[in-house]
Amino acid sequence: MSNIIQLIASQGVSIETIYLILALPFIATLIAAFRQLIGIKSFGIYTPLVLTFAFWAIGIKYGLAIFIVIFLTGTAVRYILKNFRLLYMPRMAIVLTVISLAILVLLALGGYFQKTGLASTSILPILILITLIEKFISTQVEKGFRTAAFLSVETLAISIAGYYFIIWDVFRDLVLSHPEYILLLFVVNIFLGKWTGIRLSEYLRFRKVIKNVDK
Amino acid sequence: MFTLIKNSKGLLGMNARNLSYIRPNNLQGAIRLANNKLKSKEALFKAGIPVPKVFGIIRNRHELEVFKWGDLPKSFVLKPNHGRGGGGIKVIFGQNKDLSWVSTEGKKVTIKDLRDHIMDIFEGFYSFSGTSDIAFFEERIKLLKVFKPYSYKGIPDIRVIVYNKVPVMAMLRLPTRESEGKANLHLGGIGLGVDVATGVTTNAVMHDQLIEKTPDTKFKLSGVKIPYWKDILEIAIKCQEISKLGYVGVDIAIDSERGPVVLEVNAHAGLSIQIANLSPLKYRLKKINGLKVKNEAHGIRIAQDLFGGEVEEEIEDISGKQVLGIIETIKIGIMNHELGIKNKEGGELIEKKEIELKAKIDTGADRSSIDEELARKLGYEKVIDEFKGVVKDLEIGNNATKEILDEKIKDKLEKWGDDFDTVVIKSSHGVSYRLLIKMNIELSGIKLISKMSVTDRSHLEFPVIIGRRSLGRFLVDPSKKTKAVFGK
Repeated sequence: MSNIIQLIASQGVSIETIYLILALPFIATLIAAFRQLIGIKSFGIYTPLVLTFAFWAIGIKYGLAIFIVIFLTGTAVRYILKNFRLLYMPRMAIVLTVISLAILVLLALGGYFQKTGLASTSILPILILITLIEKFISTQVEKGFRTAAFLSVETLAISIAGYYFIIWDVFRDLVLSHPEYILLLFVVNIFLGKWTGIRLSEYLRFRKVIKNVDK
Repeated sequence: MFTLIKNSKGLLGMNARNLSYIRPNNLQGAIRLANNKLKSKEALFKAGIPVPKVFGIIRNRHELEVFKWGDLPKSFVLKPNHGRGGGGIKVIFGQNKDLSWVSTEGKKVTIKDLRDHIMDIFEGFYSFSGTSDIAFFEERIKLLKVFKPYSYKGIPDIRVIVYNKVPVMAMLRLPTRESEGKANLHLGGIGLGVDVATGVTTNAVMHDQLIEKTPDTKFKLSGVKIPYWKDILEIAIKCQEISKLGYVGVDIAIDSERGPVVLEVNAHAGLSIQIANLSPLKYRLKKINGLKVKNEAHGIRIAQDLFGGEVEEEIEDISGKQVLGIIETIKIGIMNHELGIKNKEGGELIEKKEIELKAKIDTGADRSSIDEELARKLGYEKVIDEFKGVVKDLEIGNNATKEILDEKIKDKLEKWGDDFDTVVIKSSHGVSYRLLIKMNIELSGIKLISKMSVTDRSHLEFPVIIGRRSLGRFLVDPSKKTKAVFGK
């Protein structure tokens, strides 16, 4: 462990807190790289970032389960509400209400089936997961279900990748023993920010155009 | 892998579009103007550009309360001022007797529906940043007859990318059942590549996939000539100058009465246009970079010269004749001969009905001719041998004519039948008596029967030359390059 980390830890800051704070810029950079180099789109940088840490707090298994329940309930409620012609804010409040109830049922079911892991998870990450639904639902309305579904899957994929990154021991040791590596992220992000090359996904999307260049 | 990277060098990706083209060329102020539909419409209108009429603007709840719905015409479009990607646009098709309207989806639309939709617009639901927005009613463009078979309910529009006063690439967008009458590609509209020089459509894509026919009406999509093409290009260039966007996508619709009308200017024009045109955009933008373009006409000329891929089709349209280059790929039918066709190893090659090869188009030659060796391979070996056998003993003087010589080999000619004839060719090398074979050839997609004289061309580059007698249905343009190279 590096000296700086030890110094901070000696002031009573838990190692876990230090690690997560230091991991955040790495995950943010990972998300930026996913976008600029691979072309995986997501709902900005906030949503996948928060999702990653929510998964970390709840655990990937329950995290995904809760996410899927929220997503499906939210989408279903949106479709039901479509015919009621309500204004946006009240409509979204109803969606959140139903999701909250669904989560309550899920927690109760978890208790009933002796899945204590679910009940013992901290509530804050679950609340954050619930509120994330606004982004998913509003995109559905705005860009149509197809685009929104693609974006949701991509956001989820990035978050899962981020999750496996922060639980990776090698990464943890590296961050804690060499926190100065964080400075490298400036270089990486300046490179990403100036990168004008073709994204991996664009090779796929424009493959017919590329093929046609030959002729 | 290497060729993949090399071939994609001219492709415009999202990163390069944002960093190399939008950032330096589109200043914040200009982007803000472009995103504000009413303001940009006003700026265009003042500069004399035709735009759809505005029937009414609703800025707040109060204006919504007092709005006179009865003043609205039978058909109109309701739009959010800061909408993007076609979101939040409601197209009203007609009016019912009870004064309610009909949407393009065929649904009944009441005043309450419109009111609710406007409230959503106020909430900023369709705007760029999610901030509150205002709504306006606009004239609905009347569909041009030419486009009727191709569009499902809505109005097709033409997207022209203009950079440095040059219309770099263009695309025709067609509304489909899936896109609910809107022409936006990500909603399921069809994008058609357009030849910048002529305004004729080339390829078509839907959801980034190439298609041939319209999914709803099953009409062939390529080869559609867009009317008012020059005007459209000129308007697009003017829009760039007025909007002050260095890199802009101009959306233009054609009204059946008013002609081309500008729908909007886009500061963040999408990249799908490359798929519709099967052509990379960055390659074109780079060519334009730094050029001094004097005026609209100059810009159009540059675009036509640099990016007009199929100018010769224009000539084909006028003359009704196909344009050929000096070297063309042709197909020659293989004779269904009792001997079959032997390939080099001596095996039978009967499964193949024709062969493809490159031929020289020679307007200096009267007849087409074919290399002897090739003719043998095509199944004429026996006749060629017999012909050589009888001709060997003939005396061919300078005064020899076809009649005299034919008389001498009469038996053989009768035996061979109608597909074979002879010709006497006089050239600087003297007089030669050659076998003439009727062959089925396909040239630039047109099937012909050509009488080929058989001669030894083994020392020449092309085994076949196509002469004037076979070229009646074509025009020859020496500058035209061979389109496809076979065997690749």
